[in-house]
Amino acid sequence: MSKRRDIMYDFPGDLPGGKPDDAHWAVYTRKKEDGPARWAGYLDAVDVTLALQYAREHYGQDEVCTGILIHRHEALADSEYGVDPIAGGDASGDDGEAWTVFAQRRRGMIHIEAGTVRAPDAATAVARARSKFANGKVSNIRVVREADCYQTTPDELAIWRNHDMSYKLARGYSKDVRAKWAQFRSRSDDDRYASEDIKDHY
Amino acid sequence: MSGAANPVQPLCPCEGEDPEKLAQFEQRIADGVHIEPGDWMPEAYRMGMIGMAEHHANSEIIGALPEGEWITRAPSLRRKLALTAKVQDEVGHGQMLYRVSQELGKSRDHMLRDLITGNTKYHHCFNYPAPTWADIAMIQWLIDGAAIMNQKTLAEGAYGPYVRTMNRINMEEAFHFKSGEDMVLTLMSGTKSQKAMTQEAFDRWWSITLMFFGPHDKPDAESRPAMRWRMKVETNNSLRQRFVNRFAPAAKDLGLIINVCEKDANGFVTSAREDELCRCDDTTGNWTFTDPDWDEFFRVIRGNGPCNAHRLSLRRFSYEQGAWVRNAVAHGAVNTPPAA
Repeated sequence: MSKRRDIMYDFPGDLPGGKPDDAHWAVYTRKKEDGPARWAGYLDAVDVTLALQYAREHYGQDEVCTGILIHRHEALADSEYGVDPIAGGDASGDDGEAWTVFAQRRRGMIHIEAGTVRAPDAATAVARARSKFANGKVSNIRVVREADCYQTTPDELAIWRNHDMSYKLARGYSKDVRAKWAQFRSRSDDDRYASEDIKDHY
Repeated sequence: MSGAANPVQPLCPCEGEDPEKLAQFEQRIADGVHIEPGDWMPEAYRMGMIGMAEHHANSEIIGALPEGEWITRAPSLRRKLALTAKVQDEVGHGQMLYRVSQELGKSRDHMLRDLITGNTKYHHCFNYPAPTWADIAMIQWLIDGAAIMNQKTLAEGAYGPYVRTMNRINMEEAFHFKSGEDMVLTLMSGTKSQKAMTQEAFDRWWSITLMFFGPHDKPDAESRPAMRWRMKVETNNSLRQRFVNRFAPAAKDLGLIINVCEKDANGFVTSAREDELCRCDDTTGNWTFTDPDWDEFFRVIRGNGPCNAHRLSLRRFSYEQGAWVRNAVAHGAVNTPPAA
């Protein structure tokens, strides 16, 4: 083990001065190349290059991922979060620049890319996005100018690596673990024990 | 890995709040509706959620320290890859959880500094040493197993951003736990010395894990704000009982003995006797067990555990030594790194 970890450091005085937080970014991933971008999480980074790099390293590695989309947190504009599905509205128009639309089906759920609208400003984009996508089935509409969305490009190295990555997936262990438990206990005991597992990921 | 402990308990949670807004807020939660950014919330709720997410984030990044020590010493390449991935995951979880608190109004740098100065805490379990590979197996099997049980319930909470983060984190926790199970099963299928090493590690970590869910609940726990506002949805005692019901029979089937242990100041077992209370009550279906040493728990969370000082020392070292990198990234200015 590194000797560094054995050392008990002595720090006289106060911590050196802190710094403001870096920019906040929202991260979305695509499971399939032509699939929608789905909210994955957040990160802090000073610029888009570092943000995409961090996103690739963390969010691009923990499950199958064919593409990543990020935007600064400040770039989003939300409708209200309805307790019930929000009303659609009748705003229409095709002027202005392109906005990417994300929809949240119910409070507590993630935002998923729904499509695009064109609008001259954020408020109009939200209104037009509601008309188009809030068909009685969503609790929140989010828009981000397409120009403020940054994506990994198809010709980049494959985010989801080509070698066997089962060492970092639950399903990479579940069959072996089941077989090993069989040496120690009955199937019914193992079933009862395994009922607490997070089954979605096996 | 860790799962949040008890959220910060407000003393006078509703004093000064608009009664109408408060009633609407509480009705919304009672109806099972999630609270989303921009929703009105009482100050006590906001502070409680900041504290809860911050405690959880602190635990993730400190929790990476004992495991990180074993990356270079893992017994096979696959185990090394898995442990490296796990440590990366934990730090990533910390970043995601800090963001939940940032959104509620506390800066990330402030949180990192509060951790170093001891103003905020993290899970007590990460203040113990991991002297053998079997300890890493036990951390992933017992502690991550406990964390999953806790975090599944936290994913049923009311605060939307925290719930979404829990769902994302639980995906990776599933791998951490399965990997730990695989390690424990492999060791208990191995040589006599491997089994002995595993028993010793189990002795070190069983009582620590019983304490993971926090102290015994107060009698009115279910009516207190933390549960009334669905910041947590299951009591400490209930979670602990479910944990024992799951892991005690599993441990016994593996051939492990569930002991009541005494430890020295360094966290090493000095004496062990079989826990005669640890058996299944056929009437209730629950396993009874000897309560862990709660004096030890409070001693450790107050800073007097085997590794508290060392963990924070290493955290401060990383923070200070990494400052020049943060400055370079943020401002393009590169200075000489500080002397180690």
